[in-house]
Formats: sequence, structure tokens, C-alpha cells
Amino acid sequence: MRFNEKELVSLSRQPSERAAELGMKGPKKGDVVKKRLVKLVVNFLFYFRIDEEEPIGALLLEQCRVERESGQVFSIAFLDETEKKYMFECDYEEQCGEWIDAIIKASYEFMRKNLIFYRTEIHRLTGQDPLEQYGISDETRFQVNSGLQLTSKETSSM
Amino acid sequence: MKLNERSVAHYATCESPPDKTGFLVKKGERNTAYHRRWFILKGNMLFYFEERESRDPIGVIVLEGCTVELCESAEEFAFAIKFDCAKARIYKMAAENQAAMESWVKALSRASFDYMRLVVKELERQLEEIQEAGRGDLVAAAPGGPLVKSKSARRNPLARTRSGASSASSTSSSSSSGGALSAAVFSSQRSVQEETHLPSGPSRENGVAWSKPPAALTNGFGDGPLSCVPWDGYPGSGSGADGSRPPPVPPRRRGASLESPVSPGTVCFSKLHEWYGQEVELLRGEWLQSQ
Repeated sequence: MRFNEKELVSLSRQPSERAAELGMKGPKKGDVVKKRLVKLVVNFLFYFRIDEEEPIGALLLEQCRVERESGQVFSIAFLDETEKKYMFECDYEEQCGEWIDAIIKASYEFMRKNLIFYRTEIHRLTGQDPLEQYGISDETRFQVNSGLQLTSKETSSM
Repeated sequence: MKLNERSVAHYATCESPPDKTGFLVKKGERNTAYHRRWFILKGNMLFYFEERESRDPIGVIVLEGCTVELCESAEEFAFAIKFDCAKARIYKMAAENQAAMESWVKALSRASFDYMRLVVKELERQLEEIQEAGRGDLVAAAPGGPLVKSKSARRNPLARTRSGASSASSTSSSSSSGGALSAAVFSSQRSVQEETHLPSGPSRENGVAWSKPPAALTNGFGDGPLSCVPWDGYPGSGSGADGSRPPPVPPRRRGASLESPVSPGTVCFSKLHEWYGQEVELLRGEWLQSQ
């Protein structure tokens, strides 16, 4: 699958939500722990060899599950292949908790749920849709039942 | 650079609803002819498929740090996605008609994570204000009516939600929404992520008296009648659609004309919206002039 790699690399250089040197182990059998600079930017987790400019790789943090494996270790697995886990070793427990929290909140879909919650609450409290004044009430991405109403027949072939 | 491609492709076609789908023609990367592709926009990811029925996407465009502009092209209804990095690609696309083009440009302009984050922060701020105002006006509340309780317990109500996991996803109670909203625009379902401390009493009225509306933000753009003031491209040279003061010039990036205002320096949400609004205003203006 093609993707705009140059732009993604450029994104990896943007200010990040969180960055640290962690021990990282890939999901494949035989993968070992390696020290990596792990950087969270929008809904991507980039990982670099220490002191290298360009990331080795990126993980899109959508449709994923973040779990605490032990005091200092958390894992990321993707819902299409939940047995395959990326493991991350932190230096101390609190750091581990902070990373888990940050990654959960880093997904676009999570933010969307937040938005819908706030929108609904504000409307419930004030009788007004807070998005109306910005002219974006109709945007599909802000709807409670977000997106298009695709029939199951239409989606099954996708 | 590696990417978790399989999972990314899965995101494209999993059951979470897309933000927009449709056919567009896209200028090829090596072969510069335009090819008709099926596009699925989800979050900040624009996927494209060979056919509507294709199972896997040919590719994806990550929509961060880009601007969406009209562009000169042999194709009608053309627009381009431009990125602001060295030797960046320009994705040239064309829609099937004017309405589709406008719709795609709008949707793509608002697709970035940064934009969503801004909107969420803004609503979060508004909600906090409302709650604080509610606490201040407790005396004025209708007797026996619901009172707004302390907000400390409700901070980050969705903090526990896991990305993508369905177990924590919303259950809806079908309380109908009152107010002036059309049902088509605003679904009446409420997502209950965590117990809120605001009792949903039998009355739909807000039991807290409002002494003032939520903070009014300047917004020069409305969805109302097309009072098209042709926009010169530089705020300050004309007035906004409703005669309000034009916004201060947002931080500019080199080389971009209608640039994305989402740069590290742009924090003010109302300015961001005015900016987006003017983009669409410009599109409309140009179209009207071409009629």
C-alpha cells in the first residue's frame, strides 16, 4: 500500500505529545528488545534509532489496544491481529502509566467520541448546538452517528 | 520507513463509519494521467481504491500539515492537496461536479488531527464555562430543578476509553433534543460514556438560569445567504462577510496561498474558523463569478 512517506517523515519531526527512550520489541517471534526513541505525534507513534534523524517506522494508533503488561511494560496490539504485540519497556511505573494514557488519547476516534460527548452535553445544558456558530454542525465527522449510513451490503464488499 | 500497513488498511475498511466516500480522479504518481479511484476519508487518512468493490486500498494520504486548494488543471472541478515540507508532493484531484468539489475540499480541510483537537479543546472549554456559570448561579436555579454539580469529578470523562475497543463505546439513551436544532443535523442520541453527575430529570429544560450566553466568539462567516464579498486573499484589505473586522493574518507558511492555519502558532479557535470559512467563501465567490 502506498503512503506519503516524505510527509510522514516530516510529521515525525513536529513537536510531539510525548517522547522518550524506551525498550521496544516488535511483534514477530524472535524480535528482541532494542533501545529506541519513541515519539508520539498526533495519532502516530514514531520510533527512531537513538540519535538518528529519520524514524525507522511509524505505527498508526487507530483500532489498537494498549495494555499494561507489567509494572513497567505496556503493549500495543492492533485489532486485526491482536496476538501480535509491540512491547515497550519504560524506566519506571509512572512513566508506563503516562504512556498508556497518552496513547489511548492519541487516536482520532477517541477525540471524536470526546467531541460528541461535549457537543451533546453542551446542547443538553443550553439547548444550543455549540458547533452551529462555526457552521460545522453538518460535518459528518461530528455527528453522533458519524459518517455515512452505508448499508451492510455496501460495506461487505469493501 | 516502515508503517503498520496491514492495520492501517484495516482501519480503512473496518466497521467504524467513514467521514466521506466517493469517486474522484487523481493524477498518477508515475503515470501522470488522471485515474478514477474510489476514495474513503476516515479521520486524517484518505484512502484510495482501484474500484469501489476493492478489498484493499492502493494507497493512503496522511492528511497532516497540508492545505487543500483549488488548482489550475485541464480537469474541471480540480483541487490539490499540498504539503508544506521539502520536496513535498502535490496530489492533484478532480471531482465530478462543483458541489462534490466543494464538499471534498471542505471535508479534507477539516480532516487533520490538529483540527479535531482544536474543536475538542474548544468544546471542552465551553463546557467548563457553562458548568462554572451554573455553579455561580445556583441561587437562581428553579426550585427543585436539576443543579450543576462540581465539575471536578467529570474532568476527562472519557479518559478510560480505549482506542477502538467496543466494550467502552457509547450506549445511547434516546432523550430527544429540544432547542432550535433540526433533527437532521443533530442526532438525538446521547452517548453516555461514563456516568455524568448531571441528573437527567424529566424536564428537558436546563434548571440553571443563564445570566449570559456562552462566550460569544467573533465569527465573520455564517452559513447564511451568499453575501459574497470577493476575498482579496489578504485579510485586512476588505471586510468579512457580515462586515465584521477581518481576522489578523495567521502565521503564514512559505509558498502557500490559502494555507492551513493549523500551524504551531495558531491557537485561537475562532480565528481558525474564520479562516476556514473564508476558504469556502472564496470557492463560492469564484463559482458565482464563473456563472
